[in-house]
Amino acid sequence: MSRLPVADRAAVRREMLDLVGRDRRAVLVVLVLHGAAAIAGLAAPWLLGTIVDQVAAGARVATVDRLAVAIGGCVLVQALLSRYAQYAGHRFGERAVARLREEFIRKTLGLPVSVVERAGSGDLATRSSVDVSTVGTTVRDVVPTIVIASAQLTLLFGAIFLLHPMLGLVALAGLPPIWAASRWYLRRASSAYLAEGAATAELTETLTTTAEGARTVEALRLTDDRIVHGTERIARVWTTRRATLALRTVFYTVVEASYPLPIAAVLLVGGFFLSKGMVSLGEVVAAALYLQQAIEPLDRILQWTEQAQRGFASFARVLGVGQVPPEPPGKASAPPGERLVVRGARFSYTDGHDVLHGIDLEVRPGERLAVVGPSGAGKSTLARLLAGIDAPRHGVVSIGGCPVTDLDPAERRRRIALVTQEHHVFIGSVRDNLAFAAPDASDDQMRAALVAVGADWYAELPDGLDTELGDGARQLGAADAQQLALARLVLADPHTLILDEATAALDPTTARRTERALAAVLTGRTVIAIAHRLNTAHDADRVAVMEDGRITELGSHDELVRADGAYASLWRSWHS
Amino acid sequence: MRYVWWLVRCQPWRVLRGTVVGTAWMIGLSVRPYLVSRAVDDGLRAHDPRALLLWVAAIVVAGAGLSYLGIMRHRTMTFVREDATARSAAVLLRQLSRIGAVLPRRLAAGEVATVGGSDIGYTSQVLTMTGPGVGAVIAYAVIAVVLWSVSPLLALCVLLGVPAIALIIGPLLRRLERAESVYRHQQGVLTTRAGDIVAGLRVLAGVGGRGLFARRYAARSQDLLAEGYRVGAVYSWIDALTVAIPGLFLAAVVWLAARMAVAGDITVGQMVAVYGYVATLIVPVWFLLEGSYGVIRGRVAARRIIALLNLTPDHVGGPTPQDVGGLGNVPGARRPLARSAPVRPADLYDPACGLTVGDGRLVGVAADDPAEAIALADRLGRYVVSDVTWGGVPLTGIALDQVRARILVADHDSYLFAGTLRDILRAREASADGRAGNGGTLAREGGADHRVTAALRIASAEDVADALPVGLGTPIDTRARTLSGGQRQRVRLARALLAEPEVLILIDPTSAVDAHTEARIAERLRAARAGRTTIVLATSPLLLGHADTVAHLSEGRIVATGTHAELLEQDRGYRQLVARGSDALDSEDFTGPEGALR
Repeated sequence: MSRLPVADRAAVRREMLDLVGRDRRAVLVVLVLHGAAAIAGLAAPWLLGTIVDQVAAGARVATVDRLAVAIGGCVLVQALLSRYAQYAGHRFGERAVARLREEFIRKTLGLPVSVVERAGSGDLATRSSVDVSTVGTTVRDVVPTIVIASAQLTLLFGAIFLLHPMLGLVALAGLPPIWAASRWYLRRASSAYLAEGAATAELTETLTTTAEGARTVEALRLTDDRIVHGTERIARVWTTRRATLALRTVFYTVVEASYPLPIAAVLLVGGFFLSKGMVSLGEVVAAALYLQQAIEPLDRILQWTEQAQRGFASFARVLGVGQVPPEPPGKASAPPGERLVVRGARFSYTDGHDVLHGIDLEVRPGERLAVVGPSGAGKSTLARLLAGIDAPRHGVVSIGGCPVTDLDPAERRRRIALVTQEHHVFIGSVRDNLAFAAPDASDDQMRAALVAVGADWYAELPDGLDTELGDGARQLGAADAQQLALARLVLADPHTLILDEATAALDPTTARRTERALAAVLTGRTVIAIAHRLNTAHDADRVAVMEDGRITELGSHDELVRADGAYASLWRSWHS
Repeated sequence: MRYVWWLVRCQPWRVLRGTVVGTAWMIGLSVRPYLVSRAVDDGLRAHDPRALLLWVAAIVVAGAGLSYLGIMRHRTMTFVREDATARSAAVLLRQLSRIGAVLPRRLAAGEVATVGGSDIGYTSQVLTMTGPGVGAVIAYAVIAVVLWSVSPLLALCVLLGVPAIALIIGPLLRRLERAESVYRHQQGVLTTRAGDIVAGLRVLAGVGGRGLFARRYAARSQDLLAEGYRVGAVYSWIDALTVAIPGLFLAAVVWLAARMAVAGDITVGQMVAVYGYVATLIVPVWFLLEGSYGVIRGRVAARRIIALLNLTPDHVGGPTPQDVGGLGNVPGARRPLARSAPVRPADLYDPACGLTVGDGRLVGVAADDPAEAIALADRLGRYVVSDVTWGGVPLTGIALDQVRARILVADHDSYLFAGTLRDILRAREASADGRAGNGGTLAREGGADHRVTAALRIASAEDVADALPVGLGTPIDTRARTLSGGQRQRVRLARALLAEPEVLILIDPTSAVDAHTEARIAERLRAARAGRTTIVLATSPLLLGHADTVAHLSEGRIVATGTHAELLEQDRGYRQLVARGSDALDSEDFTGPEGALR
């Protein structure tokens, strides 16, 4: 399995700059507004320091009143500014996230199937769910929080420098231990929290699957086994939580013990300067209050950095999908013919071990060919080569004289459709599930297609074609879902169809009925049916028997029965 | 609430420690403003370097002490919550493992996910109140006393003002949370859509329609964007208010204190300290506010947990599992109602359809309607109340766990739990090993793999293990999604065979398997189950051909019995049902669309 790529740091940074660059004005507005709000926020402690000075100097009540009103005004101004700053920032974040996720889906849809299969759909599923939403939270919430807090911190320390440069320098005293502890923590935190999250998810999964499989638990008397299994999961959750707790213990102890350091230093040095007459009492008090105020944004930054780091990693994975070269557009234009020809095709998956050993096959347009053989004989691999999903390592698979993999993918899908036993019902109405195969199909055509594949259940649907399917709505059983997939195929109307165990999920009686109904609709089309039921072979024009990556017998049903080979003996046992 | 109380009672000392540390920490929060005010008054204003040094040193020491208390509080409370979480998960796990077949009918799987995923956590959160919650009340009182000693008027303002502000802001935050949850829900829906697209990629690759899906997703993404803008508007206002309201209050307090300082009622240092106390008081008040919200949420969550724990298995007649060995293996617990099961293997008889299954026979049942076959299996396996008898004894009267131990219904979609292939196959064996004194006949450890391999061979599933990277030891995910349909079916069959039940009822065991393999399985199954009762519900001639007797089930009754060959000859309905070759065509239904075939 070759994993999907992950973008490197440079690419992530480029993309982040690009996100900002595309919305430059909004970013500028946000920064200016936040800056202004932070300055208004600084005024309060400064005014408070002034009050202290004035009171110490024996000021009158009127002065105090005036200053107090000024503090109130500053608070209001700060609130208003930060409201609009937040709102603008929020809108920017939303836009950026929307753009990212739409781009991700566009790229995902453009991935070549072979890449998705080789990477396993689990990886892609995680990227589409966990990573995309982690990036979303990061861009929407985490980055603004960190930007605001950093702006506040910068201004607070800047203000202390303005009060007196030496006080400013002294105020930085608490930062080195905090910085060191953060580095130590961040290097370990992400993996520890990911492990914690994974352990928690596993526990939930264990509980859920135990509930889902309750009948099996009872039938096979798995109660004790499930309890043992679940108890292990509980223990793992406990262990991972302890691990993160240990990290927090070190981190928070150092950080919190460091917070009073700058306050102490400022008071001490301030006292010295005060005695020399270099600063006023009010200035020292204001500096101490600024530092007290700085704790909160500093705390916020520290709390969110870990999340930001995770967001960065997710971003790299989201972008990685875009780095896969999309499906090549294809070199050849539409071929004139429909004749499928396989010459000397050999194929191996990643391990270099050949699954197909030189297949020669010719399928006439309109012919119905059945492929039978034991599992592992290479039937599905052959189907993939015929559909152009994989290219043979050696030899050629062509249609109308043109290699199938050279065709434009969209064009190829219009001509050759592959239906496997893996079916998927998309969330949406029955119509949604059919329409994408043939956007121009009318409702009547859709209904006719469902009837053609023997989907009797359609009659029972409450809202006909508008009935919602999937997640949370009506769930189709495996058999019904397979019929839906076949109806889709009828609508798509390709000239060549490859059915890879396309009716395996149906019970034998229904499968038989469906296959026949389908055959009636598809007269004149080239059909290559890979089947485990021999009746399919019996109905076909020709039968190919595959064993160990080779075609061992090829001919009509009657010819093969007469030839008295492996097919014939199987047929007899089936038919006895 | 009783449930939460139980969680507390399970760890009294830890909870008590949490209370003590939490209280000390909360009170400790108010120490720094006091020390700073003393440093200003005694050190800076009095120009006394020694006093300044002393108070500054005190600030550093107090800071270190506070951070120690803070982390101890966090650690203790984390342990309290984790203990509660683990305990809740454990009782839930026991319940879910024990309740059995009834569960899927009474409860959506989503419900269990909610309880397991969030309700357990919410309930544990309630325990936070026992530590810092108590501390918050005490801290509030201590700060009240200190403030009172500065100025009763100021104290009154602050002590009433801070809770009032919390009460104003609290509901605002709740509203924000609601707006956010709408957004999150929509976001979840969109994420599901993305997952849907990813899961269906292969379908889209096979049939086309990628552009349509991209456009549809983008439209929904834009809807979410609009919703995000709306949330942003609410959010930014509420956020601004939560800054402005406490800010204005603080300004008012400072103004009041400054006027008092001008009048000489309090010192400048005390004025600065009041400023600090207001800030400090916010912590305990918030704790209480958040805590009370947590309690409300936790109560709802605990109720859902209790509802799950109160579920009882379906009554399928006779003694319930609780009566017999369910809760504590009390020998006398067996009710007089319980009939003892036949000591030796015996005949099964189902009056509803008239089927008799002779002891030790391999019986095939071909049902016109697959649903009838499943109903029959449910009756024979006693998943429903029925009149089935076993060796003449009503099945309903026999202790359920005896029935489960000796009769196994292997559904064709029976559940495959995550685990290594070996775990999955030896499931029943492993759990029997765990049962005291019941593992005697089972080969252990070394010999076990040998049996697993044998079962795989019968199910013709050796290739499943061979194709996996580390064979039997390869981990397989839930529902064995990585295996193909045919592989899954053969693994299920091997698992059922390994359980070696006295009576094995197989439902459509080979429907997803190719003819070559099916022929092999039919032969080997017969040999492997020789002498033991096996019922195969299927319509495959390959399987039915190997049965001792075959029964044809039509419209709820057994309409014919005999060997496969006999039935083929005598029963036309049976012939149509099972013969999958041309002779079905030769009979009546030659007309219709099928006519176009050949």
